[in-house]
Amino acid sequence: MKLWQKIFLSSLCLIIAAVNVISIVLLNNSHKLLIERERSHAINEYEYFAASFANTVVYERLKADKIMMTEEDIKKIAADIVSSRSQGQSAAAVYDSNKTLIESSALPELFGLDEFLSYISGIGTSVGDYYIKIFKCGDIHYMTVCSTLKIEDNLYLILTASDVSEIYALRSQQTDFVRKVSLISAAIISLILLVTIIFLLRPLSKLNTYTKAIAKGNYKIRIRKKGSHEFRELAENMNIMADSIQSHAARLEKIAEDRQTFIANLAHEMKTPLTSILGFADLLRIKRNVSDKERFEYANVIVEETKRLRSLSGKLMELIALGGTETDKKPVSLPSMIKETEAALTPILQKNSLSLACVSEDITIYADEELFKSLLYNIIENAIKASSIGQQITLRAAMTSGSAVIAISDQGIGMSQEDAKKVFEPFYMVDKSRSRKAGGAGLGLALCVKIAELHNAVLTIDSHLGQGTTVYIIVSGEECL
Amino acid sequence: MINILIIEDDQNIAKMIKATLSIVNYNGYCCYDGKSGMQEALKGSYDLILLDIMLPEMNGFEVMNQIKNCGTPVIFLTAVQDVADKVKGLRLGAEDYIVKPFEALELLARIDVVLRRSNKTQNIISYGSITVDIASHIITDNNVPVQLTPKEFDVIVYFLQHQDIAVSRERLLSNIWGYEFEGESRTVDIHVQQVRRKLNLKDKLITIPKLGYRLESQEKT
Repeated sequence: MKLWQKIFLSSLCLIIAAVNVISIVLLNNSHKLLIERERSHAINEYEYFAASFANTVVYERLKADKIMMTEEDIKKIAADIVSSRSQGQSAAAVYDSNKTLIESSALPELFGLDEFLSYISGIGTSVGDYYIKIFKCGDIHYMTVCSTLKIEDNLYLILTASDVSEIYALRSQQTDFVRKVSLISAAIISLILLVTIIFLLRPLSKLNTYTKAIAKGNYKIRIRKKGSHEFRELAENMNIMADSIQSHAARLEKIAEDRQTFIANLAHEMKTPLTSILGFADLLRIKRNVSDKERFEYANVIVEETKRLRSLSGKLMELIALGGTETDKKPVSLPSMIKETEAALTPILQKNSLSLACVSEDITIYADEELFKSLLYNIIENAIKASSIGQQITLRAAMTSGSAVIAISDQGIGMSQEDAKKVFEPFYMVDKSRSRKAGGAGLGLALCVKIAELHNAVLTIDSHLGQGTTVYIIVSGEECL
Repeated sequence: MINILIIEDDQNIAKMIKATLSIVNYNGYCCYDGKSGMQEALKGSYDLILLDIMLPEMNGFEVMNQIKNCGTPVIFLTAVQDVADKVKGLRLGAEDYIVKPFEALELLARIDVVLRRSNKTQNIISYGSITVDIASHIITDNNVPVQLTPKEFDVIVYFLQHQDIAVSRERLLSNIWGYEFEGESRTVDIHVQQVRRKLNLKDKLITIPKLGYRLESQEKT
């Protein structure tokens, strides 16, 4: 069962039940009140009847000038008075002290009832107690009042009955009315409820279609915040969820794409030297006459390209190893690492007649010493490759706004903004032929990025064509001591 | 003389292709980027263009788009073995598609097919007293016609076109019979023996152990 159906049915049932209970209670109350009124009215009537009976007896005795009225006389008087009472739906009955009927109205449907007979036999004989009861004879309700009366030293049971059907008729009429009204109001209420519930729950179905869309992979969709507070909150949270799904999916896509590009580039980088190697080796194999010059040239290319493959596979192994190894991080002094790297680079610097100026604050960072030195080495080596004879390379290390920043600048050839953006991608080479001649595989900076990642550091590059390049290694403050 | 334009950014590969072409006496001319390659190709003085796909300045497809109207057949060279790329290249009007790395003779065979299709190959080949007319399938020795089966004819033509080159049995199988599997190399041996016997080439068409055969050229001996 759907939520709106549940809410609708349960609230409808509750409302109808409440309306019915309240109206039944109200009806019963007013019915009781009416009966109460009818009761006092019946008692009054009884009093009147009893008094007129007693008075008639006294009057008849005085008129006949008797000392005592005989039983016969009293019977006669009772018959008179009962018949005078027996008009319309009113009735009366007189019994002697033994509850034997003396006289009664001709109302057999009442006086013949078993219930009525047992009621009469249950009446006590003390004077002044009223026994009131309502009897149902067919469609007519009678209210009877019965009490013991002392007349002329004898005890008589006097009973009056009056028709109270009107009250019951009124009650059934009102019940009918209430039933009709509650049916109509239930219809109206259910209509209003339905509209309200559907209106209130409409954001839910929208959220539903929205989640379905997300499940199908449409991560761009965002829901408008509308409806009640809870729905707005839910919508907002779902939008937050969609945001994070979208960014995750984009990241995964990017990773997959990068990997694809990496493999394509790797295949290309491997096949290029292989093509030269296979081609020249095949020529050496199949040609009958190979001059010394040709043989030297062919073999030279084969050696050169094999070296290129070796360097590529070496860098590749480093890159793979970096992905899986645990770094051995210890507090290391940055100036001492810089000094050692400088020493390792001295032969290449001298060969190219370049100078390297290093300025470093006394900073200690958590680092894997070998890896971090190779990061510095790689970047300075790149600066050397970009520089021409006589130029200077500078390295400055300083704490800047909580992070350790190492800036390596050269005055070399520099590169365009587009190249600077792509230069960290694996296999990207700004000048392919130049880079290949220098034995580059296009993986140096990709390695640097990996090492930087392992040290919670970021690499950025600032380069201008013809003016030189500055590479910044920004080590997060968390890694600094 | 056949002139072939090589558009390839890797200088060593370009050099290798040029050396390969020179063994069948084709002239190779190298361009190392897309733009200069395109300009050179538009001169229209080449019989065939070998075009790399990953090129600086302009990639191979862009170059192809620019030069397809000048009518020179093009063979793509690429390191990527991608069907989509292959289809793209062929749809642009390339004649063939060679995946790197390749053997020297494979390159020559592919070039040969394309050149033959555009009727740029030599039709008459002379070798000592032997003359072969490829178009009319006639071979004469001292002006006396020699009876050869079609396959034997193809074998001698292949050797005449690749003089002084060691040709493996597999290469012959794939070029002449059109399939590649080693079990059939006996077929090659039988055909070569027949050709040798019918044309008296015992000293010229020599067996090279572990490799195959070579037809030695006339002039150098």
